[in-house]
This record gives sequence, C-alpha cells and structure tokens, in this order.
Amino acid sequence: MRRLLSVAALLAAMTLPAVQGAWAEPVKGGVIDVATVGEPPTLDPMASTADLVGIVTQHIFETLYTFGKDWSITPLLAADLPGISGDGLTYTIPLRTGIKFHDGSDMDSADVVASLQRWEKVATRGKQAAEVISSIEAVDASTIKIVLKKPYAPLVSLLAFNNAAAIIIPSENAGEDPLTKFIGTGPYLLKDRKPDQFIQLARFDGYKSREGEPNVYGGARKQYLDEIRFVPVPDPNTRVEGAVAGQFAYADALPVEAYDKISGGKTKPVILKPFGWPVFVMNTKEGLNSDIRIRKAVQAALAPNDMLTAAFGSTDFFTIDGSMYPEGFAWHNKVGTDAYKSDGDTETAATLLKEAGYDGSKPLRILTSRQYEFHYKMAQVAQAYLEQAGFKVQLDVVEWATLTKNRQDPKLWDIYITHSPFLPEPSLNGFMSDTTPGWWATDAKHKVVEAFNAESDPAKRAKLYEDVQKVIYEEAPIYKVGDFNALAAQAPNLQGMTPSPWPFFWNAYLEK
Amino acid sequence: MLRTIFNRLLGMIVVMALVVTIVFVIVRVTPGDPAAVMLGPDATAADVAALRSRLGLDQPMVVQFGRYVLGVVQGDFGQSIFLNQPVTTALAQRAEPTFFLTVFSLLIATVIALPVGILSAYKRGSTFDQVATTLAMFAASVPSFWLGLLFIQFFAVKLGWFDTSGYGGPGASFLERLNHLVLPALALGLVSSALITRFARASMLDVLNDDYVRTARSKGMSEWRVVLKHALKNALIPILTVIGLTAALLISGAVVTETVFSLPGVGSLVVSAVLRRDYPVIQGALLVIAGLYVLVNFAIDMLYLAIDPRVRA
Repeated sequence: MRRLLSVAALLAAMTLPAVQGAWAEPVKGGVIDVATVGEPPTLDPMASTADLVGIVTQHIFETLYTFGKDWSITPLLAADLPGISGDGLTYTIPLRTGIKFHDGSDMDSADVVASLQRWEKVATRGKQAAEVISSIEAVDASTIKIVLKKPYAPLVSLLAFNNAAAIIIPSENAGEDPLTKFIGTGPYLLKDRKPDQFIQLARFDGYKSREGEPNVYGGARKQYLDEIRFVPVPDPNTRVEGAVAGQFAYADALPVEAYDKISGGKTKPVILKPFGWPVFVMNTKEGLNSDIRIRKAVQAALAPNDMLTAAFGSTDFFTIDGSMYPEGFAWHNKVGTDAYKSDGDTETAATLLKEAGYDGSKPLRILTSRQYEFHYKMAQVAQAYLEQAGFKVQLDVVEWATLTKNRQDPKLWDIYITHSPFLPEPSLNGFMSDTTPGWWATDAKHKVVEAFNAESDPAKRAKLYEDVQKVIYEEAPIYKVGDFNALAAQAPNLQGMTPSPWPFFWNAYLEK
Repeated sequence: MLRTIFNRLLGMIVVMALVVTIVFVIVRVTPGDPAAVMLGPDATAADVAALRSRLGLDQPMVVQFGRYVLGVVQGDFGQSIFLNQPVTTALAQRAEPTFFLTVFSLLIATVIALPVGILSAYKRGSTFDQVATTLAMFAASVPSFWLGLLFIQFFAVKLGWFDTSGYGGPGASFLERLNHLVLPALALGLVSSALITRFARASMLDVLNDDYVRTARSKGMSEWRVVLKHALKNALIPILTVIGLTAALLISGAVVTETVFSLPGVGSLVVSAVLRRDYPVIQGALLVIAGLYVLVNFAIDMLYLAIDPRVRA
C-alpha cells in the first residue's frame, strides 16, 4: 500500500506541472538521456512492430491520427477526424497545411498518398489494412480519400498506431525499402546515431504544433527540450544502477523487483498501471491444442494467482483479471470470464482431458524464453498446474530470436508465451488475425470479429466486443494470465511527462 | 627462418579459411531468424518470408556461402541487416573502445602480475607468497562481469566517480570516452592478472633453481641483478606467451564486460548481433576476432624467434 501511495503521489506530482504549465510556460532548454532496453532493429517505424522502434521514432515521424485521453482517436497530421460516407466505405481525410518535413519541404496530399501506399506494402499493419482498402487517392493538395472494399472500423486506429506505423514521409523517399532517409514531420529530428551508443534527436525548429492543450499523444506538442538522447542499456541490472545513480533522466522497462532499490536512488520509480497482459497463445492449427477440449482443459488448469505471484512478486505489480481489457478501457467487460479461475480448477481440467481421450503419452509443448524472466517463471508454475491436471508437459526454453522463428512453425509448439501492452484497438491484437501464430480461424470468430470490425459507432462496438470476448473464452485460442504493471524511473526534475506504454518526451521539460 | 615464417603464414590462411566456413555454417544452422526479429512480435509468416527473400536468406546455403566468400576475399564482409551499414564500417566504429579496453586491461594485468609473480617466486612460502597466491586464485575464479557489477555499485553508484555505463554522449572528447573505460578495464585487468601472476611465479621458480642462477650468485652479483637480469630473461618466454594469449582472451572476454557496461565495442556488437541474428555482422566480427587471435599467435611465434635461439635452429 505504501508503494502505491508513493506512486500515486508521484503521478500527482507529474500531472501538476502540466496543469501549472497553463499559468507559467516552462523554460526551453536542456538535454535528457533516456535509457532504453537496447538498440532498435530499425528506425523505420513502418518496418517493425517492435515497441522500441515506436518509442524512439514517434518523436521523428508523425501519423495522420494518434491517441488522446482514454485512447480516443485524435487528429495529428490530419486536420480533423475523417468524414465517413453513409455506407462506411469512403474516408475523406482533410490534411493540415503549412506542415514542414525535416528537410524543409512542405507536406501535401501527394506525400500522404505515397506514404500510405508504402505502408500498405511494407508494414504488417498496413498489409492488414490493404486487404480492405480499394484505393488511396488525393482529392486536392490538402485532402485525401481512402475507399474501402467493405466497412472496416479499425482503419483509423491502424492509421494512428505508432508501430508498423502509417507515418508520413516525403513522397520521394516513399519508394525506399529499407528506408535510409529518416525525414519526418515530428517535433524532433534525427541529428546523429551511433548504433549501440546513442540516438540523438534535436528540436526541429520548423515544427508546427497543433493548437490547444496537450492530449496524451495528441493535442499540442511542446518542444521544451533541446535534445533527447536514447541510450541503449541492454543489461537490466546496469539500467537499474544507472537509474539509481541518476545517470538517466528516464530509464525504461526496469525489473519490478528493483522497485525498492530505485526508491532509494536519485531517480524516482514510476509504475505504469496497468501496462499490459501476459498471454499463452495456443496453437489451434496443429498438435494437441488443435482440439478445443484440450485447450479448454488448459484454460481450466491454469492458476493465474500463483503464476502472476511467481512472475511479479507483489500485487503492487499485477492484477488478477480475466477481462481482455482492464477497467478504464471502453472495451472492458466481464462476459465469458467465468472460465477464468484465479486458483485454477484442476478437477474440471482433468475431466476435460479425460473427455478428450488424452492419455498423457504426448507432451504439451510450451515454448518460452528467459528474455523476459516473468515468462519463464509463469511457465514453470503453469507446468506444475498442468501436470497436476494430468498433462505431460515439455518446457522448451529457447532464447528470444529462436522463439520468434519457431513460433512461425505450427509443428514445433502447442503454447508459446508472450505479452503485450493493452492496445487501444482490439483489432490490433495479433490473435484477431487468422494468419498470426496461433492461427485461430473459426466460423464463430469470423462472425463476431466481422460484425465488430464493420461497426463504426463506438458505443455499439464496445457492446459487440462483448461477443468477441465471449468467443475467446469459449474457444480458448489464447489464455490471458492477468494484468501487469511496468516499472520505469524518472529524474525528479523531469516534468511534464504523461505515463504511457510508449513513453514520449515532447511536452517534457527540465525544472531548474 | 624464412621457411618458418612462410609455414606460419600458410597455416594462418588455412585457419582463416576454416573459420570462415565453420562460422558461416554454425550461424546458419542456429535456430532463429533476423527477419522475424526485425519485423517484431505481430508479424505474419508471409511478412517474414517476404523479408527473408529480400535479404537473400531464402537462397540455397551454397549460393549464400559462395557470395559471402567472394565478398570476403575482396574485403567486403557484407551489409548489416539491422544497422543499415557495411559490416566493415560497423566494426571500424566499434574498434576504439575494444582496442583501448584490451590495451588498458592488459596493462593493468601486467603491471600487477609481473612484480607480484616474481616476488612470490623469490619469496616462495612467505606470507607475501601465500597471500598473493590466494588472491590470484580468487581473482581467477571471479567472472569479470560480476566484478564489473560490483565496481558499478561501488565506484559509480555509491561514490559517483564514474558513469555506470556507456561511452560518452555525442561530442564526448577522447578523454571523456576513456574515462568510461576505467571500470571495465579494472574488472577485466584484475581477473586477467591472476593467470599471468601464476605463470610468472611458476616460470620464475623454474629458473631460480637453475645452475646458472646459482653461478651468478656465487660470482657475488646483487640479488636484484640476478633475479631481474638473469632469471627473468629466461623466464620471460612462457610469460610472454601467456600475456599474448591473455590479450587474445581479453578480446573475447570483453564480450560480456562490454555488455555489462554498455560499451559500444566489438564485444557488445557480437552479443547484439547474435541475439538478433544479424548474420553478416556475426560472421564479420568472428572473422576479425579469429584473425586477431591468429595474428597475436603469429606475433608470439616471431618473438620466440627473436628471443630464443633454439627456435631459430
């Protein structure tokens, strides 16, 4: 409790200056070092879905839309929300004018069209959207039109998301793959990059911010800091020591067990609650878990309480929660969650296994990694509970690069463990697609997901998402273990930050 | 003598050809895929396959190997998949921290080990010898990364004398960058000093009981002259060997230490390349490291030729 109070106090302290900012504008200036988990695999945000890529590049590049308070869609390079035709097939998007790229050229509809066409070809999420996009064209210099083959409500969320992102770049660079010229419209431009040493971003003097107040990722983007330097510190212990010593203004993704140590240091701990959800993805295509009864047995056998305790230690860092989205999200609901038993239901699991004719000769293969230690700890507890229910379990512990490769092959695993932040739009989650590993593709899924994707009214979509969650629990293509919180560290004089899963540093400033 | 040098050079070429082949095969048969790492967690199998094709990873292994060897003989190690730059450039950019880290570590190790080893041998069985031997055993059994973490805790966090990690920000001067090498060099140097100390002691013990040393003493020479001029000169060959091998070991030992201290050297480049399966970088870096090993051994052989007349015969 003491911890949560201290965090609440800190968060309050972090929010206060933003409010005060309306009265006294913070002074410009200063350079911050931000410790990250490593070197991003690319600086082309279209080319990767890795969070680290999004964290760094969201300062350089911008999208047409982004996310504001409560994950609402808000325009960024677009002048306004899209005008949607009555049949839901045509999206007319007005663009802001006077926007400059970092090379000094002006952004117009030709750049936007070329960028979105590149996004369709290069980005995982762009390819997803391309399946329903019929055409993208310029109406005039400051308007574009996207025509769909069928109504597809997640389109604007896809255009807003910061990884595999629909960034806008000069049309002459849009033919590049891989991208070599990192020219965007963002508040900070790429000044220098020494891989594994630093990525140096400097204030872009030609930046044109939106008017008004900041609104999480949207609204006004103030450029108080002169420079932001992302410093890769792959070793988590070194990152913690750097935070304790006050070497970094912000240190991202720290192990939660370092909370007390950081509290006694020169930077203060920040808990992002809730951050995300660990998930057991079931292979519905081949092997044991292609039988829904086995998957239901796994669902019954697992005990999230013990799994999360082993993984995160204290309830300060996790919540037992079967809802796909936690409270605070529009998508939160309890439908179907009866099947989520906090302490497991070994008896039911054993019965289901018997009904499925499982004789214990074939092992249930859990593919996991120690890249994220909490994955491995959860796997160990899961193994114990599954064995108690009658499963023979084989833990395949590999390093992360091997896991990312092996999970593409349905012959190699029955469950793989991963995690994700809570994505603002449910359709962005991997398992919602038929083609991501897990390969969940059933008539029941298609029925509810298509209805959900076709509806554009937010209130009706929230209601339709209840049906999606119900089918997820009925067919068990994944097992959501619970909610977990993330730990970061922030220098006391770094103000104006908004806690977020992908931390950003426009609007942040150094207090003198 | 020329024949010996020629044979050694020929051996070097054979070793390097083997290294090129073995590294290429091992890297390709190791599970994992750079395309999957680059595209991130939500990529589909089709996305991964498309990127593999663009990177030429879907070609038969023999074709890939042929292309690679052709490049290597022309000095082209290929293009890093993730860094968007030639491997040679990536290696050149990271040579500085690794070079100075190795040099400083070796200096620290030698400066500590030589006098301690010689004195231990000279005062065999004394308290000094026993303490030195115990400390050497302790240092030999301590992993350098663990020592590194301890140093970070004490010198960087508690005393605040150094940064915990990194190699200086943009525009850092040469001296500022070197300042970041103090702790890792100490960690690596102390651990390496243990091996050299033990070799120096053993080697000196061997020669201190030889007849010519006794003869020198009986001629009335001062003790320091006997030890430093006569005994040390003969004990130096195995000590030089172990210092040379330590230098080569330090290059690979730096892999972990550089990671702990987030030093952007060749070692951390190798680690990150392995973790994300950046094949050209792994191949290029291992080739360079193996080349350095081979060169160090060649240099030691040449030193033997210069120092020991028996080898020349």
